[in-house]
Amino acid sequence: MNGEAWFRPYFRSYFWRFALIVLLGILTFLSAGMLLFTSGYLISKSALRPENILMVYVPIVGVRTFGISRAVIHYVERLAGHDAVLRILSKMRVKLYRLLEPQALFIRSRYRTGDILGVLAEDIENLQNVYIRTVFPSIAALVMYVLAVIFAGRFNGGLALLAAVYIFVLVAVLPFISYRLTRVRHRQLKQERSGLYRKLTDAVMGISDWVISGRAAQFAGSYEAEEARVLRLERSLRTWARWRSLLGQLIVGLAVVSAVYWSGQQYARGGIDVTLIAAFVLVVFPLMDAFLPISEAMERVPQYQDSLERLNRIARQRDGSEAGSQTRTESGKTEAPNAGPQTEESKKATASRTLEALHISVQDVSFAYGDGEEPSVSSVSLDIPQGKRIAIVGRSGAGKSTLLKLIQGALAPSAGSVALNGTEALRLAPRMSELIAVLNQSPHLFDTTVGNNIRLGRLDASDGEVHQAAEAAQLGPLIASLPAGYETPMHETGQRFSGGERQRVALARILLQDTPVIILDEPTIGLDPKTERELMSTIFKVTKGKTLIWVTHHLIAAGLMDEIIFMDEGTIVLRGTHEELMGQSERYRKLYRLDRPE
Amino acid sequence: MDKDLLKLKGIRAVMVQMAALTLIHSLAVVLQAKWLAEVVTGLFDGEPLQEQYGVTVLFLFAFAARQLTGMLQQRIAYRFAERTGTSLRRELLGKLFQLGPRFTAREGTGKLVTLVLDGISKYKLYLELFLPRMLATGMTPALILLFVFTQDTMSGVILIITLPILIVFMILVGLAARRQTERQMNSYRVLSNHFVDSLRGLETLKYLGRSKGHAGSITAVSDGYRSATMKTLRVAFLSSFALDFFTMLSVASVAVSLGLRLVNGHLSLLPALTVLILAPEYFLPVRMAGADFHATMDGKEAGQTIRHIIAAASSEETEEPGGSEAGRSYTRSQERQVHWTGASSLALSSVTVCHEQGSRSSLDSLTVTLPGTGKIGIIGESGAGKSTLIDVLGGFLSPTSGTFKLDGLELPALAEQSWRDLITYIPQRPYLFSGTLAENIAFYSPGASRAEVEKAANAAGLGDLIGRLPAGLDTPVGGGGRPLSGGQEQRVALARAFLCSRPVMLLDEPTAHLDIETEYELKETMLPLFENKLVVLATHRLHWMKEMDRILVLDQGRIVEAGSHEELMARKGAYYKLACAEREELS
Repeated sequence: MNGEAWFRPYFRSYFWRFALIVLLGILTFLSAGMLLFTSGYLISKSALRPENILMVYVPIVGVRTFGISRAVIHYVERLAGHDAVLRILSKMRVKLYRLLEPQALFIRSRYRTGDILGVLAEDIENLQNVYIRTVFPSIAALVMYVLAVIFAGRFNGGLALLAAVYIFVLVAVLPFISYRLTRVRHRQLKQERSGLYRKLTDAVMGISDWVISGRAAQFAGSYEAEEARVLRLERSLRTWARWRSLLGQLIVGLAVVSAVYWSGQQYARGGIDVTLIAAFVLVVFPLMDAFLPISEAMERVPQYQDSLERLNRIARQRDGSEAGSQTRTESGKTEAPNAGPQTEESKKATASRTLEALHISVQDVSFAYGDGEEPSVSSVSLDIPQGKRIAIVGRSGAGKSTLLKLIQGALAPSAGSVALNGTEALRLAPRMSELIAVLNQSPHLFDTTVGNNIRLGRLDASDGEVHQAAEAAQLGPLIASLPAGYETPMHETGQRFSGGERQRVALARILLQDTPVIILDEPTIGLDPKTERELMSTIFKVTKGKTLIWVTHHLIAAGLMDEIIFMDEGTIVLRGTHEELMGQSERYRKLYRLDRPE
Repeated sequence: MDKDLLKLKGIRAVMVQMAALTLIHSLAVVLQAKWLAEVVTGLFDGEPLQEQYGVTVLFLFAFAARQLTGMLQQRIAYRFAERTGTSLRRELLGKLFQLGPRFTAREGTGKLVTLVLDGISKYKLYLELFLPRMLATGMTPALILLFVFTQDTMSGVILIITLPILIVFMILVGLAARRQTERQMNSYRVLSNHFVDSLRGLETLKYLGRSKGHAGSITAVSDGYRSATMKTLRVAFLSSFALDFFTMLSVASVAVSLGLRLVNGHLSLLPALTVLILAPEYFLPVRMAGADFHATMDGKEAGQTIRHIIAAASSEETEEPGGSEAGRSYTRSQERQVHWTGASSLALSSVTVCHEQGSRSSLDSLTVTLPGTGKIGIIGESGAGKSTLIDVLGGFLSPTSGTFKLDGLELPALAEQSWRDLITYIPQRPYLFSGTLAENIAFYSPGASRAEVEKAANAAGLGDLIGRLPAGLDTPVGGGGRPLSGGQEQRVALARAFLCSRPVMLLDEPTAHLDIETEYELKETMLPLFENKLVVLATHRLHWMKEMDRILVLDQGRIVEAGSHEELMARKGAYYKLACAEREELS
């Protein structure tokens, strides 16, 4: 996949729209040119004092028409351009979304650095400028170039040549030089600026350490030094931009003088009418306006390249991961990956929404992320009949998340099997949301109303069902206190909703989803003990009869679980009920005492 | 005009220079038109081309002068913007460090970083555009108009009438556009955020089984966004349309009126042509100001936001007892050295922190004396003021009232570098800078030797990790480096504290977010490091309290109980209640 994939398809599907925009752009320039051309002609003709005013009637009408049409056409052109670009933006967004969707569960671990998603969305916005600022004006300028030369050629070959040379300098030579001169510096500037961005983010995040260590002045010094480098680059680019526009303008000046010289000569020879001298001289200014911006348009190109590269990396990442899972699938002796056709078996397993029982059986499962890498999960076996409550405890990197992904069918095991009611989890992946719901550390609450956020659990739920779910999650009093109840937009509750309350909204959502199994992936991290206990007690109350797989960092409520497993380096190192573990394991007793000090 | 602008350093000299250049520029515009008209008229009258050479050269000269003065103006404006931007950024950064972590957490790192980088850029652009545009709009049309009146009164009248009409229309349309945008502000915000929101919620959508179908909703919302945007643009573009339209109409009217009077013989070609060339120039400054309107508005707002932060920091500074010199926290002050020994003490008396006038105090006249060494535990429910107290002790937050006495001597504020040199601070999630592991450990003591760093790493229990890393201590961590787990981050912070061996340690909820095994191991590592220091540890994990020499129980900003674990349990008061709540079995 290369950069063109973000451009070419749109050229094809929007060809006529693009053509119209370019045409309007050309007409804008033509109107401006014709306004001055006819004006020059009009007053020259009038200065000859024709007998009858009707002799100048046509140029009078022309002047007025061109005057008005330039404004109108330009207005329409801008609207058409933005409309087309917004259409493309919509397509690009869907395209990016489709690229990211298959990796949804892996984005967090794959792209750790910063807000990659926000950056990608911005990149796409950035690419739309390619059309408005670079593509449309450049094409319009090229067409104008051809038209100008043809127009000049109708009068005289010499004039055509003259026009061809002058415009060539503006439309090709200067942009080329400008591009070559600034390309490297633009790229450096971009790099330096993102370096500054990183450095400053780093400093602000760790500001307490800078302040306490007394090294703030030291940071300021090194930061200023980098800023100075950026300033030097910016300054040199600016200086060139000023020179470039000066050069461009001087060429316009010379073109005007040439037009004077040529029309004077032609008139003396009787080549053109006297009324056209002023017309030819005056038309040069607006005509050149079409070509002057091209240099700047070309300078922008490196900025787009950066965005494009990032988008392409995402595309490659997906291609890579698909290829990866393919090979693993083969070695793991399982059949088609996620998108594979539904077998009779899997249809049976998920036939109705009201599926009551799901038996999860994990047998001797192992998984490694790459060849030769340490397995993240090795030889783990679990039997989870419907309604069992199991807690998974372990350090970060112990393999808990990988185990969850294997159960959800998001990863294909390297060895062993994960079966849900006897069907490979992998085959059920497309319909997993009907079987297993997930409440994780930071469930996303969407920028819509509170009610809609809950309804995402099941789109066809009635208002009554939504309210019921909210009541079950003990959100009733909170929602009643909101200005518009369920219709209150989420972003307006940002101040009001605490971490525990946000988790409750997400809980209501998965209650509506009504699956036989719920995975709780450390939902109480960051909550204080009181909130933690209250949330967990609500969860236990409303999930009676459902299977709970609870990854937890604390042992509160350990007594309520049917089994507790401790994972370390991919294996289960300790398992049993709370009572068994309290009886057998000194280590467990010590840990338990942290949560429940005597 | 922006009042703040006149306060900028060196603005007057720049304005004078630029005004002089604008004057020359305007004269050049007029002369350029006059001489071009003369050449064309000469040719029109049948004079030979050779006779025009002189005037043609003059035209070129005026043309070049015009472009050169324009370029010089840009250069002056750019240099001025650069200078002002740099000093403003320095000031802003200084204030950020002064306001400290509490402020940056409240405002958001992303927002502040964007403000420092992009905000300053926008402000610079504003200065760069606004000064020349303002002068040009003020001077050039007036000068051209004066000259046009000397050539042809009628045209002058047309021009003088159309300019106000044009400006009024532009303003009216601009206001209409703003109303239009404001009307659909809310739905517009949702529409424009929808995509980023969708990407951020992708994982959740997947779990809910909505991720495949959501592509359709992206298309639908994007289309909604498009039609909403187009509706706004149709009005917004009207303002530049009005500019264009009236300019062109006015130029056309001038041309037609000139033509008619030429036909009647009331006018000759030379003044007519001069006026015709000058007519578009007359409108040019206003059109350029209009075109740059949004960029300048953005920059102006950015400048105001920045000044606002600087002003907020300065007002905080004057409220602080004794604090006066600017950017104090920025420079390592050369004041008296404070020595902290086992016999030292820090006494806080009636320390009150009230974030907003009239609201409940986060700390309510808290009085306590901290000894030279010992482990002090701070416990209480969320919102009881635990973090606030730690922030006050760390000097990140100046109390609304109250005093500090160090060994009996009054300390103006705990933001003093002399106090800060004594402390280390370990938050819930210590921040790892983008750099190697060794650099991170040596952050507080950049001069430490390799052996010292290794010793600190081992003391903090990082030995195992370092042994497993191929590059060992030189492994890059932090942003862009190897990700470390929460427990490992805490260990790096501990190694930092061990290495610099400062006598006071402040810890704010160091283990609550960790899994219980890591928490257990980390506690084992931490306890020996706490020996012979003053340790203040705020947490709601009760198990820590058994190890503390003294426990302060906070409730609603007050110390409601103090004593050792055994004493407090025996008293059966607030602490006992907290402990019981923790023990209660979940149902």
